[in-house]
Amino acid sequence: MAAVVIVLLLAGLVLLHSTSAYNGRVKFHDEWYYLKKQGFATLIGLLGMVFVAKIDYHRWAVLAVPGYLAAVALSVAVMLFGDEYNGSKRWLSLGPFSFQPSEFAKVAVIIFLAWLISRHAGRLDRFRRLLLTLVPVLPIAGLVGASNLSTAIIILGIAVVMIFVSSPKYSPFIWMGSAGAAFMAVFLAMESYRLERLAVWRDPEKYEKGYQTLQGLYAIGSGGVFGRGLGNSVQKLGFLPEAQNDMIFSIICEELGLVGAGAVILLFLLLIWRFFITAVRAPDLFGALIASGAMAHIMIQVILNIAVVTNSIPNTGITLPFISYGGTSVVFLLLEIGVVLNVSGLVE
Amino acid sequence: MRCRTYNRKKILIVFLSAAAVMAALIGRLAYLMLFEAEYYQELAQDLHERERPVKAARGEIIDRNGTVLATNRTVCTISVIHSQITEPERVVDVLSAELEMDADEVQKKVEKVSSMERIRANVDKETGDRIREYGLDGVKVDEDYKRYYPYDELASRVLGFTGGDNQGIIGLEVKYEDYLKGQDGTILTVTDARGVELDGVAEDRIEPVPGQTLQVTLDYNIQSYCQQAAENVLEEKQAEGVSVLLMNPQNGEIYAMVNAPEFNLNEPFELNTGEDAENLPDEELQDALNQMWRNRCINDTYEPGSAFKIMTASACLEEGVVSLDDTFVCPGYRIVEDRKIRCHKTGGHGAETFADGIRNSCNPVFMDIGLRLGADRFCDYFEQFGLMDLTGIDLPGEAGTIMHDRDAIGPVELATMTFGQSFQVTPVQMAVTVSSIINGGVRVTPHVAAGVVDQEGKMVEKFEFPEKKGIVSAEVSETMRALLKSVVEEGSGSNAFLEGYSIGGKTATSQTLPRSANKYIASFVGFAPTEDPQVLGIVIIHDPQGVYYGGTIAAPVMREIFDNVLPYLGIEKSESMVYTE
Repeated sequence: MAAVVIVLLLAGLVLLHSTSAYNGRVKFHDEWYYLKKQGFATLIGLLGMVFVAKIDYHRWAVLAVPGYLAAVALSVAVMLFGDEYNGSKRWLSLGPFSFQPSEFAKVAVIIFLAWLISRHAGRLDRFRRLLLTLVPVLPIAGLVGASNLSTAIIILGIAVVMIFVSSPKYSPFIWMGSAGAAFMAVFLAMESYRLERLAVWRDPEKYEKGYQTLQGLYAIGSGGVFGRGLGNSVQKLGFLPEAQNDMIFSIICEELGLVGAGAVILLFLLLIWRFFITAVRAPDLFGALIASGAMAHIMIQVILNIAVVTNSIPNTGITLPFISYGGTSVVFLLLEIGVVLNVSGLVE
Repeated sequence: MRCRTYNRKKILIVFLSAAAVMAALIGRLAYLMLFEAEYYQELAQDLHERERPVKAARGEIIDRNGTVLATNRTVCTISVIHSQITEPERVVDVLSAELEMDADEVQKKVEKVSSMERIRANVDKETGDRIREYGLDGVKVDEDYKRYYPYDELASRVLGFTGGDNQGIIGLEVKYEDYLKGQDGTILTVTDARGVELDGVAEDRIEPVPGQTLQVTLDYNIQSYCQQAAENVLEEKQAEGVSVLLMNPQNGEIYAMVNAPEFNLNEPFELNTGEDAENLPDEELQDALNQMWRNRCINDTYEPGSAFKIMTASACLEEGVVSLDDTFVCPGYRIVEDRKIRCHKTGGHGAETFADGIRNSCNPVFMDIGLRLGADRFCDYFEQFGLMDLTGIDLPGEAGTIMHDRDAIGPVELATMTFGQSFQVTPVQMAVTVSSIINGGVRVTPHVAAGVVDQEGKMVEKFEFPEKKGIVSAEVSETMRALLKSVVEEGSGSNAFLEGYSIGGKTATSQTLPRSANKYIASFVGFAPTEDPQVLGIVIIHDPQGVYYGGTIAAPVMREIFDNVLPYLGIEKSESMVYTE
């Protein structure tokens, strides 16, 4: 698993550099600007991962409640004191570092739920119980969702997957799924701009707001089977805004073609498979749930990101784990991996 | 607490669904990248490629001998690319200083968020080079062509000028736009989103096709000489304007077309009155400019006055209602119905033949023969001579004839029309109609363009212009030539007499409307040699001060022009005259 992560990280850094060099040059007169920041975060993350991997994961159970409370507190803090960037308040500044609490919240939710469910294991066969388990997640999802709807969806998704895994039943989830879909429909209809997003998704060429999506499609379409070659993307040259963020996958398609993009997806699948193995072989429910949560986390983000980039679903800002630019995300992902590594390490 | 089997089963379900969704996404990707690739690649290519037009050089205009009358000069277009500007203040300072523009105006353009903003076009090359040497980021100096007229004012309304996009605005520049324009080329380059061209990506280039060279029938020397003569009399007589038209009556080629005062073609938006254009409100300025750009020879009509007696005489001779020896009596006026219409000689010409009547330019004689002809036949001839049609000259905006309705012509109207009053024609209409009467009856199409020549000066396309025969009979034409010769040699046109040449012509003086303003137009139409006319000219002096008789002030101008132009065109003085000298 560690090997897959390292490969993904290295590939991610190379691709990030290729994609961000132009924007770095234009905005900061330093084509290494983004790579430096991302590399630094990766280093911290790796150190943290090694460190965390050595800690018995059972000790995190103690931190489950404080971690959960901290996530709530940070989410409130970001609403009050957050830094705005690209129109969203998502960052907290701590001296020279800025920090995205929602990334922390994901990890906190995984551990909190794993702790909560494993403590009450066996009682999850009742529908009411299922819903009650979901309740503590809602404030975080709500707080995060206020500024960052996509992350809220991810957090909810993680929670649902973990509860699904821990419950022997199936039918409640069908109900939950239906309820969720109904809720989404009402939610979308409430604000016209959300419906507009849907319209843009259906036909990005007709709307000004479809620009990013369309540029992403241009990039993907330009790739062909083998791509233009690493570093040769034209779309990253300002046509696709902020190419190093959410839409980085489209640049991968443009430069490396179907083959390269397929390889990246397979790497993620490999990683998820390792999580799956870890979860299945975990010594106890707590470990299994942590691994399942992490798996759900990565799986949901990868799937949603690629689905957005290929315009398979309406546009929403979700980053591609390990590859998109974002320091907080990498650090917490690696810490999460560290915990899972520990879970898998105890197997042997 | 340990895992249970159903936990594992469910984890497997989650994993399998993830794998399934990812497989579906790979499928979606494959669809986009393989089947829709072409569509998106095309769109992307359109987006990345920047089309930069390359202006085609406009075709030159050369005179009948190859003298260049209109050509191109390299000028620069200065523009700014917003996203590339690093020192906006300096850019504003340098550009406003170098281009002598308002700093605020430049600043507004510099700060405007657009891919490329044009600051000023048609900047001369030296200024452009200087700006380029500052090496300012985001300032682009593109070289370009600008129309240039080496002789500034020469034939200004005939040649015309071009606008900001090098398109013709008046004159030949408009009329022959399709020949002169050429075809712009394009450079296709791949750029990033800011419009910066990428290195190492091949650029497609479509070369511009330069416009064709237009050869005109004008002769630089004749045109200059006529212009000089017109300007002299303009100043001498403090006239409002002087028009001179010189053409070949046999084929309609125009040698010179002058409308003094001319204006400077290189500064077509500055008034030729010396008035500061900036003090005028926009609308007034535009009116003044439109007025200045008018070609009076073709865009404006006038009452031709006594020169029209040529047409009346031809019509009556053709119809046989008068012969040269018919006698008339002029008491100084003629009473038509209840109106007393005066002759220009108050005391009257007394008894005279028809031939004398022409030489004396006697109004009562022409009223008499006109009434003999009658309004209907008069109108028939008016139409037969082509006076109701446009001449078809190859210059834009030819004005039509202003004429009575046939039914509305009573004896009084008919009487005034016989000596060229109460209707209006253009000078070029007069010149062409007189040409057809003296050249044996062929109505030619007056024209300025001869054809298109290639790089070596060889004519590759010669323009054809229609001719219409049978305007008058050969006999009447011959009679008219002799009569008009006698006008110059013995009659009212004696001021156009040039020793050694046989010149025919007719004077005219007409009062402009409203009559109360007491403004006159003095004119003379003449041709030479009378035996076989090679040159026909018309001189029109608008609103002269002091003496305003055509015979006194316009005829001498024609003589002066003929004195120089006839030898220049290789028309020899007649043998007998040389002998007597």
